[in-house]
Amino acid sequence: MHHDKKFAVVNPSKMCQPMGAVQALLGVKNTMPLIHGSQGCSTYMRFQLIRHFREPIEVASTSMNEKTVIYGGEFNLMKALKNITEKQSPDMIVVTSSCLTETIGDDMAGIIEKFKDANLDNELPVIIPVSTPSYVESHVEGYNRTIKALVEHLATPSVPNGKINIITGNISPADCKQVKDLLYQLNCDSIILTDTSENLDAPLTEETLSLYNEGTSIEEIEDTANSLGTISLSKHVDSAAIFLEKKFGVKSISGPLPLGFENTDQFVTSVCELGDLEIPESVEKDRGRLLDAMVDAHSYNFHRKVAIFGDPDFVSGMTRFTSELGMIPSVVCTGTESERFTEDVKLISKEKGINPVILAGGDLFDMHQAIKKAGADILIGNAYGASTAKEENIPLLRVGFPIFDRLGAQRISVLGYKGSIEFVDKITNTLLDFYYDEAGYEIVDEKTEEILREEGDEGFEEDFMSKEEI
Amino acid sequence: MPYKLFDVDKEIPERKKHTYVKHCSDPEECMPHCNTTTIPGSMSERGCAFAGAKGVITGALKDVVHVVHSPVGCTFYAGGTKRYPTSPNMPDGSKFPIENFNLKYVCGTDLMESDVVFGGMKKLKQSIIEAAQEFPEANAIYAYATCTTGLIGDDMDAVAKELTTELGIDILAFNAPGFAGPSQSKGHHIANHTLFDRLVGTKEPPTTTPYDIGLIGEYNIDGDLWILESYFKEMGIRILSRFTGDACHDELCFMHRAKLNLVRCQRSATYIADLIKEKYDVPYINVDFFSTKYCAENLRTIGKYFGLEEEADKVIADRMAKVTPELEFYKKKLTGKKVYIFSGGPKSWHLAIPLENELGMEVTAVASQFEHEDGYVKMKNRTREGTLIVDDPNSMELEEMITKDKPDLILAGIKEKYMAHKLGVPSIMIHSYENGPYIGFEGFVNLAKDMYSNIYNPVWNMIDFEENPAPEETEIDVESGETPENEAKVSK
Repeated sequence: MHHDKKFAVVNPSKMCQPMGAVQALLGVKNTMPLIHGSQGCSTYMRFQLIRHFREPIEVASTSMNEKTVIYGGEFNLMKALKNITEKQSPDMIVVTSSCLTETIGDDMAGIIEKFKDANLDNELPVIIPVSTPSYVESHVEGYNRTIKALVEHLATPSVPNGKINIITGNISPADCKQVKDLLYQLNCDSIILTDTSENLDAPLTEETLSLYNEGTSIEEIEDTANSLGTISLSKHVDSAAIFLEKKFGVKSISGPLPLGFENTDQFVTSVCELGDLEIPESVEKDRGRLLDAMVDAHSYNFHRKVAIFGDPDFVSGMTRFTSELGMIPSVVCTGTESERFTEDVKLISKEKGINPVILAGGDLFDMHQAIKKAGADILIGNAYGASTAKEENIPLLRVGFPIFDRLGAQRISVLGYKGSIEFVDKITNTLLDFYYDEAGYEIVDEKTEEILREEGDEGFEEDFMSKEEI
Repeated sequence: MPYKLFDVDKEIPERKKHTYVKHCSDPEECMPHCNTTTIPGSMSERGCAFAGAKGVITGALKDVVHVVHSPVGCTFYAGGTKRYPTSPNMPDGSKFPIENFNLKYVCGTDLMESDVVFGGMKKLKQSIIEAAQEFPEANAIYAYATCTTGLIGDDMDAVAKELTTELGIDILAFNAPGFAGPSQSKGHHIANHTLFDRLVGTKEPPTTTPYDIGLIGEYNIDGDLWILESYFKEMGIRILSRFTGDACHDELCFMHRAKLNLVRCQRSATYIADLIKEKYDVPYINVDFFSTKYCAENLRTIGKYFGLEEEADKVIADRMAKVTPELEFYKKKLTGKKVYIFSGGPKSWHLAIPLENELGMEVTAVASQFEHEDGYVKMKNRTREGTLIVDDPNSMELEEMITKDKPDLILAGIKEKYMAHKLGVPSIMIHSYENGPYIGFEGFVNLAKDMYSNIYNPVWNMIDFEENPAPEETEIDVESGETPENEAKVSK
């Protein structure tokens, strides 16, 4: 029996701010993320990141212990900055706080100044502090704050560069490539914040750099002040864009994530408007191919119920895309409490005539309970959805972070026309594998929409409507 | 000069005393400096005390709900990460209704800023009550302090005490916040003491036999414990209490009734064996079941203790007959291969001699994230002259070692795995295994098989690093399609 829990989180669907900060920094060239906290934070995060990307990933720590907790973290932070500077000579060290150092109230900016003063004769990397208390919001906000901190510290106006800044949010390296490729086709020069495409999907070269020699450079971040505009693919990571707009008049466009047909159209329109660009034939062709794939798939996908969880803009984007495919999103869940998310999904629901259970700030336990009631033929999300999918006997289509039980998480692509085509193939084939026999006939008779409507439990939706408001 | 400073450490000379090169004539006290504060910015791979308590010790229990009193991160990262399978079998013959319950669920208090300011006690209390409502099957609830809650001073023991009475099941508080101690080892220590203080001696087992043992420090990684259990069962010995692999909460409560305790992981669990010995006079012996030789020796010791020598010999003979042909094949293939063992703690000394003597490999470096002196003494005793013994190593040091020394294989964790791959060196996860279990006779074959299949995979021949041509011999094997099964047939 499910009780309405109000306090506990069971199997969270969000991570803490420092993780978002690290995710953002993995796309910055020659930069070391340094978590000012106890040793466990960096190790836990590296564990999640490495098993997802299957790449060597380094995250430094100030390794606070009980003694330094009492006297403050100045000694540890100074020591860590010294060791990293001397040993790895990065271009930049980004120091992110943790729940520990936020609670003891360490003045990271002050300590960094002190470190700089003590090393006036030495060449130092750029050092930027970011406040990322783990007890405020989620990893999504950590990502957002980190990009903002980078831009605040570095963006410098000089001459217009004719480029468009793209804040990606936490997307896969493959999706980062898709976005870059689309921009290239559109003949649009861009600055990607941040570019994980090479760093987190690296060739085998006998080099295992603890610092990445690819990714967004400091110079590029400085140059963001001179761009035509900034497009934040995820609405939840647009603080840097708003800063650039306010301070340097760089126009800001927030979202939507170019996932699926309509959203990619909107992204292409935004890019073309900002850059005064024409849509080339190659992009038109990719768009046509996506439509073709959707048409080819439609009879298999139609009216399949889908449950989706992950980061807020991914979930809302996927809600729209699966609706475009004629599927019925039945449960949509994000761990981050966000009104923007709820509004987005409500808008999509109205437009598409769907009525999903919306869990904003929900956990995977809530989601599982909702799936039991609302039903789902397929679940889309990260590897933590596996036990729910198994118990409900539905397939889990793995997209998001973390995915540690399958190979190739860095190569999963859903963005742009091309990524969307990959996704259409993948979801349709997953459904074919699961619900169709080898001759291509459906194994289980699926219910029609009318029956579904008859079975719909109105009271249940109201229950969850009230939960959104919490 | 028994200590070595890596090139990558020339700016951090403090690291020198953590890296010892074994020299047989060195005095006893020569060993790596260990169990000390981690050097900030050294890129250490250590975890925190909370990870040591929940991740290592208590996360293996099959019927307990875990409530992490933390901002959401610690709860997320602590969920279902370690490969600790559980069976539904309970000591009274009943079945626990949820399969792999320990891996499926983790609860947390999801602390917000206001909780940090005003205290998180109320939220903790409510969360535990809700966890009890959500999971009425659970036989106990364990709550964990983390950095934040350790700092704001929430009195978790008071909450645990109050709710134990209110809910009628044991509620435990583990005060092992992330910043406690130099490494996860502190969390093992705190968890041992908490479990002993709160549980041991509070319940009686449903039945007892003269052949009841406690298996301490065996966490059932990928089914290790089940292998050992099968040996004991055949010998007529019953595992009364497991600490804590595939254990239930009640087993910990009647640990004091074992006739003999066996301590398997001597780093993380000797504490509780000592405490039980002191208070309840239950003797314990340190055991080592990795490899055929150690396993046989230790089964004989245990058999002797209970007067079951013949039974032990029977188990040993039976298993040896099964594994010997395969091990012979692997020994042939693995002889002369250079290997590093980078374990969390004891596996570095458990495996050093077996890999050398039983499989013909050369162990040229061992390391540990959190061992103490006693562990390094064993490492020193069980390694060959010139072996590098590293305390709290980091990936840059490992990279330097691999680049200079070019091992054929490293046994390490997932954090080192892909770095080794980039350098063209295969790596096996020794913390949570590849295709385990790795313990006992059959387990040692699994380990040998994994090492063989990693080293001999044709992919390594395709990597064309300039000054590092791939060894040619590996190709031959792939083409001939030689397998241990074929080999065994031929030899017959």
